[in-house]
Amino acid sequence: MAIGSPTGERLAKTGRAPVPPKVPALLRLRKMTPMTFLTIVAVVYLFVMVTFVFAAMRTEQSLLHQGAFGPLSLSRLGYDWRQLSGFSSGVYFDWLKNSAVVAFGGAAIAVAVALPAGYVLAMLHFRGRRVLLFLTILTMVMPNTVLVIPIFLEVSAVHQIDRLWPVAVIFGFFPFGTYLAFVHYKTTLPFELLESGRIDGVSEIGLFLRLAVPLAKQAVALVFFFAFVADWTNYFLPLVMLPSSSVQTVSVGLQELITSSQLFNPSAAAGLNVQLYMPELSFAAVLQMLPVLVVFIGAQRYLSRGAMLGAVKG
Amino acid sequence: MMASSRQGRGGLSLLVPYVVLLAVVGIVPTGYAIYQSFLARSGSGFGGISAYHDAVTEFQFASSFAHIGLVLAVWLPFMVIGVMGLALMLHGQRSRLVGVYRFIYYLPGALAGMGNFVLWLFLLDPVNSPVRPILSWLGYSTLNQTAEPAHLPVIIAFMLFFQGAGTWILVIYGGLNGIPEELGEAATIDGASRWQVTRWIKLPLVRPWIAYFVLLNVAYASQLFLEPQVLGLATEGQISPQWTPNQLVYTFAFQVFDVPAAAALSVILLAISLVIGVLITTRTGLFSNRD
Repeated sequence: MAIGSPTGERLAKTGRAPVPPKVPALLRLRKMTPMTFLTIVAVVYLFVMVTFVFAAMRTEQSLLHQGAFGPLSLSRLGYDWRQLSGFSSGVYFDWLKNSAVVAFGGAAIAVAVALPAGYVLAMLHFRGRRVLLFLTILTMVMPNTVLVIPIFLEVSAVHQIDRLWPVAVIFGFFPFGTYLAFVHYKTTLPFELLESGRIDGVSEIGLFLRLAVPLAKQAVALVFFFAFVADWTNYFLPLVMLPSSSVQTVSVGLQELITSSQLFNPSAAAGLNVQLYMPELSFAAVLQMLPVLVVFIGAQRYLSRGAMLGAVKG
Repeated sequence: MMASSRQGRGGLSLLVPYVVLLAVVGIVPTGYAIYQSFLARSGSGFGGISAYHDAVTEFQFASSFAHIGLVLAVWLPFMVIGVMGLALMLHGQRSRLVGVYRFIYYLPGALAGMGNFVLWLFLLDPVNSPVRPILSWLGYSTLNQTAEPAHLPVIIAFMLFFQGAGTWILVIYGGLNGIPEELGEAATIDGASRWQVTRWIKLPLVRPWIAYFVLLNVAYASQLFLEPQVLGLATEGQISPQWTPNQLVYTFAFQVFDVPAAAALSVILLAISLVIGVLITTRTGLFSNRD
């Protein structure tokens, strides 16, 4: 029987008349329970996120005295912006720029490296293929924090600490991307196509460029998305690799805002020339997640498939 | 196979960038850390296992692993039951809201890391918190009271659930969608209840995903750093800066400047994740590296 054939037709085949729902009210209530529960969870999630975003548009006084919801003002965002710009002469915007360099750079390298590697692993037979695939899956399921200190020792041995390019290159190693590309080519590219190309005398590189690259759209979107989000939100690696404030990424920079805040560190913040309370912190946190949100929306239609491939890493 | 005999060597050059990165970012640093871990504390000369001895006998060593155990004891059941429960409930629904809810559950993932942390500071600090009535009912009026060290396992469990559960719900939901509908329908016609369909058909079929999920989260928890570290900074030192093993590595490397001990502890942590990684790769049956 075909999947998704209309229920009525199926019931007709099994020889049963469709029974009209004559369920007692109490049972119907019980049947509603999972949906009610799901709704409650969704409402809690929305409540948390919405109050957090709204905090950027409220005053400290309102947060202090009016509870979860209070008057919102868009001009408050301008005030937050000025406070943030005044902090260490606008270092926040350097952080955003640095994050953009390492996250876009890292994701671009990840795509450029993972696509051909996934193609070769999926389509060619060679010695060491099994070992390489095993190493790919192994490194993919290991948390990326585990190598941070060893990588730091390596990079400091060649005196490249406090530079952005090594961070982007390290982010470029994205075994999950290679695995995604591997699965993508395994399921979309027929061997016969490669065979006929070879008979026509196309070189191996030519086969990749002419057959595999045009098919890559889905894999490119997924690899770029997952790499970008992982890189942008990474904290431990940039913390260790970029110790100077002006070369930090924004996720480490947020930590500096917290420790400089009058709210969490009144003594250290005594000499601070700007206000860093919850509205400003919320503004800084929400502003830095907008790029992730944009990339997320761009990649959304490719995501359900990616998720099924095991799209989760630590 | 014909293909392999005719296929030229040229194709393998496409692998070069990946293999180089695997070496530079994975294999070389691992080897270098192992080498450093056998150096003497002065940084020069062979030190045998003295760095390992230093790391293991550090008084925070055992407690940092105990903290990971505590976090796992709270977080893992919370996560498994929460994610499986929500995914199964979503899967049972016909409503169009399902897609909306999946999206809402996923959204905090975009705030992952520090963004999520700032959000939780907002929730936990009674001064601004939108849930202040709950906090004051619990008797907390300052952040230091909400975030006292004994509460950390629960707080971290909440933080990690909020940022990570949505993605896992997508994964498990995707796995449930892969089950042919006829299977459940046939069982229902034979008189199986909804619970029986879930218990005997759906759960066994997504079992590999659950195993993957548990192992991956154990590996992740053993690596905790951000949450206890920054919460410690925000509460003016009431939480030990060596609360987790990774924080201990960080202290060895950047406060004590005992690089061999930092390397030795890194190697120990690496070995733990390696064991978990090998279990995931070879035992869950999700990643067949055959054809």
